[in-house]
Amino acid sequence: MAKRYLILEDGSAYAGEGFGAGATTSGEVISSLNLLGYQETITDQIYHNQIIIFAQPAIGNVGINHDSYESILPTAKGMVVRDVTNISTNRLSRLSLDEFLQQHNIPGISGIDTRYLVRKLRKMDGPVKGSIVDVADAHAFDQLNATVLTNRQVDQVATPKPYPNPDTGKNVVVIDFGLKHGILRQLSERRCNVTVLPWTASAQDVLNLDPDGVLLSTGPGSPLDLGEGVLEMIRTVQAEIPLFAIGLGHELFALANGAQLAALPVEYHGSSHPIRRIITNDILYATQGQGYAVIGKSIDRDRLITTYVDLIDGTVQGLRHRDYPAFSVQFFADGAPGPHESRDLFDEFMESMTAREG
Amino acid sequence: MQNLDDLQKVLIIGSGPTEIGHETELDSATVQIITNFKKHGVRTMVIDNNPFSVALEEIQPTNMYIQAVTTANVRHIIERDQPDAILPTLGGLLGVRITQELIESGDIGRFGVTILGMPAATVRQINNPAALNSTLKEIHEPVIEAQVVGTEDEALGLVESIGFPLIVKPVAPRLDTNRTICENVDEMLDALSQGFSQSRFDQCTLERSVVGYKEVEMIAIRDVADTKILIAGLENVDPIGIHSGDSIVVTPPQTLNDREYQDLRDATFRVISELNVVGVIHIHFALNPDNQHFYVTKIAPYFTRGVALAARTTGYPLAFVVGALLLGQRLVDIKLPSRFIKQTAIMEPTIDHVSVRIPIWPFQEIPDADQHLDTAMKAVGSTIGIGRSVEEAMLKSVRSSQFSPRDVLPSVSNLTDGEMISQLIHPLANRILVLIEALRRGYAPDELSELTKIDNFYFVKLQHLLKIEKQIKDNPLDVATLKVARYYGFGDGMIARIWQTDTATIRGLSAEADIRPTYKMIEPTAGEFDEHASGYYSTFEYENESEPLGDRTALVLGRGGNQLGPNTAAEYFTTEMLKQLKRAGYHTILMNTNPNAIGIAPEFTDKQYVDPIQLGDVLNVIQVEHPDIVIVPGNRHYLTRELGKLELNLHVLPPDQEIGRPQPQRATIGVSLFVHEQHKIAVGIMDMIAPGMNQTIAQVTAFRMPAELPKADRLRLVEQAKQAVSEHQLTGMVQVLFAPKKDSKQLEVVGLRPTRLTEMAFLSKVTGINWVRMLTRQHIGTLDDAELSAVKIDLNSQRVALMNAVFPFRQLHVLNRPGTTDQEMGATIAFGSSEALTLSNLSDTEQLDKIINRTI
Repeated sequence: MAKRYLILEDGSAYAGEGFGAGATTSGEVISSLNLLGYQETITDQIYHNQIIIFAQPAIGNVGINHDSYESILPTAKGMVVRDVTNISTNRLSRLSLDEFLQQHNIPGISGIDTRYLVRKLRKMDGPVKGSIVDVADAHAFDQLNATVLTNRQVDQVATPKPYPNPDTGKNVVVIDFGLKHGILRQLSERRCNVTVLPWTASAQDVLNLDPDGVLLSTGPGSPLDLGEGVLEMIRTVQAEIPLFAIGLGHELFALANGAQLAALPVEYHGSSHPIRRIITNDILYATQGQGYAVIGKSIDRDRLITTYVDLIDGTVQGLRHRDYPAFSVQFFADGAPGPHESRDLFDEFMESMTAREG
Repeated sequence: MQNLDDLQKVLIIGSGPTEIGHETELDSATVQIITNFKKHGVRTMVIDNNPFSVALEEIQPTNMYIQAVTTANVRHIIERDQPDAILPTLGGLLGVRITQELIESGDIGRFGVTILGMPAATVRQINNPAALNSTLKEIHEPVIEAQVVGTEDEALGLVESIGFPLIVKPVAPRLDTNRTICENVDEMLDALSQGFSQSRFDQCTLERSVVGYKEVEMIAIRDVADTKILIAGLENVDPIGIHSGDSIVVTPPQTLNDREYQDLRDATFRVISELNVVGVIHIHFALNPDNQHFYVTKIAPYFTRGVALAARTTGYPLAFVVGALLLGQRLVDIKLPSRFIKQTAIMEPTIDHVSVRIPIWPFQEIPDADQHLDTAMKAVGSTIGIGRSVEEAMLKSVRSSQFSPRDVLPSVSNLTDGEMISQLIHPLANRILVLIEALRRGYAPDELSELTKIDNFYFVKLQHLLKIEKQIKDNPLDVATLKVARYYGFGDGMIARIWQTDTATIRGLSAEADIRPTYKMIEPTAGEFDEHASGYYSTFEYENESEPLGDRTALVLGRGGNQLGPNTAAEYFTTEMLKQLKRAGYHTILMNTNPNAIGIAPEFTDKQYVDPIQLGDVLNVIQVEHPDIVIVPGNRHYLTRELGKLELNLHVLPPDQEIGRPQPQRATIGVSLFVHEQHKIAVGIMDMIAPGMNQTIAQVTAFRMPAELPKADRLRLVEQAKQAVSEHQLTGMVQVLFAPKKDSKQLEVVGLRPTRLTEMAFLSKVTGINWVRMLTRQHIGTLDDAELSAVKIDLNSQRVALMNAVFPFRQLHVLNRPGTTDQEMGATIAFGSSEALTLSNLSDTEQLDKIINRTI
């Protein structure tokens, strides 16, 4: 394999071996601390335009599997790993991680001291840009420094057209900001008849479908870049229909209800933080992937109640509307990858839809 | 059940001697839990008869019950001392079984004793597979349907519905027995007859076999508020059919996808909640790799070797936390030692390295045992390798388990193809070497995977190692190749052998090319936080995290994985030595690969390196730490010699056992003297007993002190011993051996040797003086005259002590026979009046057992 480099905007360069695509890419460098689930991670659209460092050193061990896609067309900008294995467990075609990345033009680099980078990123202030390149010369750094990362991530990954995911149960509209399939799987398991709408859908578009419930999906990037229209849609819809929001959806739900967001100094991607469910005092674990957090003090307590909190960094992890059957969580309740114990939030969503009928 | 805040007195049921199935990990956990209880003002009492227990050193003599760990003895302690609670989970399955018997007999209720760690209902279920299965079924946990049978006819009636292969298991076994896989009726009938005799109810269960499935183990903890954390998942490389204690184990799991892993995590949490366990649980699963279905196959709500591995590999302060949980603390409230950031206890561990554990088997010492690996555990110890790739961790672990003084892997290239195939299907102890040999001979990974039911992934990794080996062969003294080799875990000794050069050349090349080890911290947050954990392992990367400890450091080299012989005693020795070094103001650094070692716990050492204890790796650590003293165990002659060539302050401890002079054929009395400058302190006169044998010295595995001799004879022997010591150069704890002259009862000196480690522990327990401490201080030059002069030992004590070795013969199904010192697994100790401990016939092993295990 060819020698390649990961370079960071602070001028540092790390030599490793290329795998996957030979493309030169740039993106925001973040680290994922999850033990397993590299396929779910790399295909999750929240990693659009990001280069992902994997803390767990052995990656690729189980190949690429039909049931581990979080999206079909991954748009991450790269994988940085200590050790990659070129293996396939796929029944039909011999699809290894290496081949998969080639097909999707995503470069990987192995042989990197990823633990060092995890520790280093934590101490760097704000988002860090990086590139995977063939030669770590002045030109490469110039290119990297000149790169302006798009703030239109949602536009680039969310569906431009509506599509159905039919079943026989509750009629659910999912607003796609970069939807991960885990959410659809949870709704499927509960027999929901799903219609996925583009994130630009208006309240009228949603209400026209006469849904039992609306789900605001996960997605990449900053919620502050999406404009007032979507917030207006949320405000109208939440007053009419039970609503459940996850990840970016949660951040938008908070904004729509007057709360403010702050960018975290370092994005957190992992599942080891205890999250307290305030009403019961239970503690659960879930995959978190966030660059922003709702500012606790900014919450208008006449409108929103904090329902979950991260016990490590104190961030707000869940909200509920005082007047409407609308609630949200910052973490990924579908658990793909990651712990499953917050999946009952989907049951809660089902109950809120049933209660409305009631 | 009383409020846990009011607990004042807790009785810990100890684990007894080291046996196949458990070694020093239980003692290690016990020590850490006692420490924690102490902090909470709880008085801890321990019953144990393991003379090598470090836990017994940690408590006041008044809280110590050196008695056989039996139901009757535990009941007596409860009656007499009225503890508020008992803790069964440090005694392994035995502890749970004793507790169950005390529940059934009504003693627990009668004395109002709280059972720590789990409710009585759970204690009962753990020993009753049928009851456990019905509970699991209630919570929809997939279990293998087990049917209880009491006769052969009942079993034959069920055969058709279950189908072969099936598994026979005794109900409520008296011993920690195992499952027998049966392929046909004959095998089943054999297994039943054995099973019925082992069952307390003359019953066995029959169940479907899941041989060939993946075996995955999950370690989790839970607090009183039902908060649960998964500490680690352990993947067995070998499939179901080989006992997990005999399997190579990898953590975190490498060939599970996230869904499988999370499903098992969910199941683990459902079980621990349903069983209402507070503390730790270790659950085994059989996972069908084809369809992701799984079964729960074993539930152990107590400390195990899996728990020890999980703690070691994650760096999570498991025993400390469990100690707090047992006292009713919630995970969110636990205050950890300062080396951890404050929320570590409540964070689910995530790691950024790979650990591989490889078992060590006793077949070198017991060659006539059946060496096939099956459902009955045969390993007596294990070693771990930690690295930043599966290759690196695997190779390090192999280098430690297939131990060679010069760090060269043994070869099995002399196997015929037929033998090799047979061993692939019916694995022996050299399993890993045979797998490598098969790849070397051109078998493809998927072929081998089909044959062995080991995941293809591991063959791909081993094949990669072979590719690197070839690269090494093809590129002698090439620096780029050296870099690759070290990166993937090849030892300096291995590379030197391939390049037909010496370690010094390899190290010279490495230094020139700046190929240096980088040490990474073993901590449970995968780099998310700046923990200050004390465990490290080496790899060859960018950042080194290990800063030298600084002034006055002592590097202690451990003995690696447990083996037969005096190893448990050596572990005791090393731990006590580490304590003394610390007390003498040294910063202590331990290198060890035994995940069950006691000394490796941060309580006893300031820093630990989990790396092969081989010359290259030791020199690497020395280069980082520049220790003031280096302590090598006495059984490492090559290492001692090589390190001796360098300018190091080198000490050999525990002492080399092979420097006795002359080595006598037989001995009946041993007189131990502590020799330091002009001091010759008589420490003990013991009968040397060779149970059931002629009195050859290798068969002396039991001891009684004081020896049954007239007082005058004792004095005379001591004088003779002192005389003998004067004529030789031995210092430290010396044993002078006596045997009767030919055709006479007159005893004469027949040899001298350093007191063996087992007997040193015995002498410490009997005299109440810590002789390891004395010996350590002698070596580091802090032993003072006044202290030695003050030592008073009553050689004619009325209180008699007996120590008897424990052997693994029964578990290995070799004929019951007397053992030799190099076959010892552990030992038991008993105290009493001379009447109680009188042996009418020194060679009567049954009588010896009976006395040691008597009810006090």
